[in-house]
Amino acid sequence: MAKTMSLSRRQFAKAVGKTALLATAATFPAPFVKGADPITINHWSWLAASDGEIWAQMINSFNDAHKDKGVQIKMEVIPEEQYNTKVLAAAATGNAPDFGWGTAGQRAQWAQDGVIVPLDDVAKQTGLDLADFSEFSLKMARYPKYDNKLFMIPMDLMSLQPEVNIDHVKEAGLDPAAFPQDGATLIEWAKAMTKREGDKVTRSGIMMTGSGVQPTVTWGIVAEQMGFQRASDDLKTAAVNPEAGKAAMQWVLDLFDTHKVSTRDVTDRYKAFGTGQGSVFWTGPWTLNGYVEQKLPFHTYLFPKIGEKQLTYFEMGGMEFYVQPDEARYEASMQAVKWLSDNSFLWTTKGRGASPRTSLLNHPDYKTAGHSWDVRGAFVDGMAIATAGEIPVLAGPNFTIYSGGNFLAKTLEQVWAGQKKIDQAMAEIQEQWQKDLDAG
Amino acid sequence: MIAAKLIRRINRNLRPFGLRLGAVPIWLLGLAIAIVWAMPFVWMLSTSLKYAGDVMTVDVEWLPRRVTLGNYEKIFTDFPVARWFLNSVIVSVISTGLNIVFGSMAGYALARLRFPGRDALFMLFIASLMVPTEVTVVPLLLGIIKIGWWNTYQALIAQPLTYVYSVYIFRQFFLSFPRDLEDAAKIDGAGHFLIFWRIAFPLARAPLIAATVIVFTFNWNNFLWPLLAVSDESMKTLPVGIAAFAPVVGTRTQLEGFALGMAGITVLSVPSLLVFFFLQRYFIQGLSSGAVRG
Amino acid sequence: MAMKAARGRRSADEEPVDWVAYVFVAFFTIPFLLFNIAPIFFGAYVSFTKWGIFGKPKWVGLQNFRDAFNDEFVGIAFTNTVLYGLVIVPCVVVIGFTFALYVNQRWPLSALARTLFFSPYVVSATVIGLVWVWMLDTQFGLINHYLGYLGIDNVPWLTSTNWSLLGVSIASVWWDLGLAFVLFLAALQDVPRDLYEAAEVDGASRWQRLWLIILPQLRPVISLVVTLQLISTLRIFSQVYVMTNGGPASSSSSVIFYMYNEAIQRQLFGYASAVAMLLFLLIIAITIIHRVAIRER
Repeated sequence: MAKTMSLSRRQFAKAVGKTALLATAATFPAPFVKGADPITINHWSWLAASDGEIWAQMINSFNDAHKDKGVQIKMEVIPEEQYNTKVLAAAATGNAPDFGWGTAGQRAQWAQDGVIVPLDDVAKQTGLDLADFSEFSLKMARYPKYDNKLFMIPMDLMSLQPEVNIDHVKEAGLDPAAFPQDGATLIEWAKAMTKREGDKVTRSGIMMTGSGVQPTVTWGIVAEQMGFQRASDDLKTAAVNPEAGKAAMQWVLDLFDTHKVSTRDVTDRYKAFGTGQGSVFWTGPWTLNGYVEQKLPFHTYLFPKIGEKQLTYFEMGGMEFYVQPDEARYEASMQAVKWLSDNSFLWTTKGRGASPRTSLLNHPDYKTAGHSWDVRGAFVDGMAIATAGEIPVLAGPNFTIYSGGNFLAKTLEQVWAGQKKIDQAMAEIQEQWQKDLDAG
Repeated sequence: MIAAKLIRRINRNLRPFGLRLGAVPIWLLGLAIAIVWAMPFVWMLSTSLKYAGDVMTVDVEWLPRRVTLGNYEKIFTDFPVARWFLNSVIVSVISTGLNIVFGSMAGYALARLRFPGRDALFMLFIASLMVPTEVTVVPLLLGIIKIGWWNTYQALIAQPLTYVYSVYIFRQFFLSFPRDLEDAAKIDGAGHFLIFWRIAFPLARAPLIAATVIVFTFNWNNFLWPLLAVSDESMKTLPVGIAAFAPVVGTRTQLEGFALGMAGITVLSVPSLLVFFFLQRYFIQGLSSGAVRG
Repeated sequence: MAMKAARGRRSADEEPVDWVAYVFVAFFTIPFLLFNIAPIFFGAYVSFTKWGIFGKPKWVGLQNFRDAFNDEFVGIAFTNTVLYGLVIVPCVVVIGFTFALYVNQRWPLSALARTLFFSPYVVSATVIGLVWVWMLDTQFGLINHYLGYLGIDNVPWLTSTNWSLLGVSIASVWWDLGLAFVLFLAALQDVPRDLYEAAEVDGASRWQRLWLIILPQLRPVISLVVTLQLISTLRIFSQVYVMTNGGPASSSSSVIFYMYNEAIQRQLFGYASAVAMLLFLLIIAITIIHRVAIRER
């Protein structure tokens, strides 16, 4: 009997010991301390290219300037592909960050669900000078279906423009001052700069990949230049003028198979261009910092007119505010964002795109500060032709041309791989998009 | 005649090594294959010691033409690699330790004790092996966010705690345990707990090591869960942190080169390689002698 | 008296029940139920709903499953997954067994060989993603470099729809083989020496010894390894994720990878869970078939 008793006691002690251990584990200091310091503003960013570095500098400047005022921004970098999921998961449990980076036009669903909050009132309260913002930028930050409220504070405007390796241009005996303005000359230039070994392209005249974002966005731009419209202006009909869309698909395929100025074998287009494996690479201003730092010899030009119109992809990034259980937080966050926007000279001259604020654009040093105008100018001037943007419907992400994984990209990928005929792909795209538009 | 004598002489010399003349070619071939099998590691190390510009060369260079420790320096200074390493150590050690202790107890009970629901419980454990972890990850994510465990050590420790391999290994081992030891102890009036703790567990060194190696490795390399459960840089585990250098899904492809990534994964692989290296004999022993019967 | 108390009460069917067992298993089982089983059931529930994390799940019955059957990318993912199984499992089993046989000979340096063969198993997916992507690089990769000496042109391992699955499989075999290898090795070491010697005395050749004696002894282990590797391969994810991200054009995509995309990138959790459920059913089916096939022999 005695033995059994002492056994149980030992057993009990062991159990208690284990529980105690677990309890201690549960009280490990969690570095993410929310609410302990009421003036820590939580910011999430998915910027990861060289723009991410500059943005981190911006946040650091804010923190330095506000050290005595007791306000700090705590930034976390989330991988882009997980960003949406994590924000939703956080918001669903009342733990969403205060503000984060968003892309205009892709948040219709979140606006509807209340994940992001309208900002008109808060902006006014904190004295953010909305009049200084260009009309276009504010228009893009609104969602007509939801009271036309402002759901984002625009930070910069971006477009896709060709960055060109000047060494390759000179090597081919071409004139760097006379970049092609139309599709035919563009192909000529590309052919002149392409290096081949037999039938295989070893240096691409036009930097392309066999799948992913690059061919998708190229198709999107060329298609719209040729007269294709992903959705009619009233957002009721999908795939207007499909013949133009098909012609654009053929144009992309021709780069690989007919003109042989591109190869499907590139995995990392950024690195490939950076190591001189491609001559013409249309991309956005988020790459500037990195290429300039590595002293790549390149200039940026305006996207040529391959179809009937000269236009290119448009994207606007800005700060969106996530729903908070404590509404008082919105004002503090807006104060922070106001500061960031007012002080976005660095961001819009070195970090990324063109400023949406007229005062900054008119700043005397705007053209000379930051990166050289040779590489930056086209991104700023090119805003005039950047009109291919997002389709602001609930299924917006299915329509975006700047994606490697959405429905559009996946269907097009099969065309690039020769697994699907152009006609069939177009038909499938039209069908799916029509369904999406009908859904609202 | 002479040839036969020669062969016999050679075989005599080879005998202490356990070789015959006929076996030598296979022996060498096997060694060659083994060395080739580990080549990726050598390549990894070699690339990690190269300057970024020297990495993409048309000719394959096994020995870097210029050696630099700069990549290692860079990853430790520019990125919180030390912190990631620490996180991995804390999470892996605690989670493995708890898993082994709990798992051995459960394995013992499943093997040697009688209670209603025993077989059903074991079936449940085995069935869970068939369900991909990836299925459980998102609901789990939501759950831990709700209880405030996001970006915490607890969350990282709790998920791999439920890895059932250890239970399986211990159960297999204890099934083959001779009953007499137990009976002797029972006659002395010892209860099950004492039997387990004083007798069974100490004898289970082989499965213990085997299970520890497997579970520790699993923990150290756990990828998807830490990827989702943690967004704070200072809380990431090493594999997740280093993944930022991976060219396909990494977020730093434009900036960093392969060399840096290779340095990162070298650092990442060293602990698990060391653990295996020192424990391998016990490890293999632990998987045999009745521990695994299928 | 003390003995009886220690052994526990007798239950109705005359067999003593060890109630303390519940304490033994509780420590493992409770976290298991919380962190493993509960999410599984929740996932099962969600597969019948439409849910985007934020907001309540909306019941849609079998709609997700219907959509999955009509979704060509799901079909591609399942086909690829089965292909992965057909390529990786035999390779791992056969090569792993061969390596185990070799090491079991205890020739000089066998310990070194043993370490080398097993070592890939302990590395992380990230390692696979970096090293093998680099090794399989079309222009600068090691593999193509040495294939070049054999007169073979550069194979676009990861950038071509024809080769990507094979490229990922190669890395997978290298990675997964370690466990099969040690399991075989351990089992081989268990084969009683007398069996070997008896066969040798009887004049059996090496091959005969292998086929007629060793293999039958090892059947349970072989079966175990095949089962484990099959289940693990059907769930293939991290290699795909870090090496090709499913591409190009979904040619290397697997079911779990597809599920991850749908869930994390498109927040279609209901749909993703339904796809995962389908895979789970497939795994059960294949495991049962495998088990039955073995019993019949």
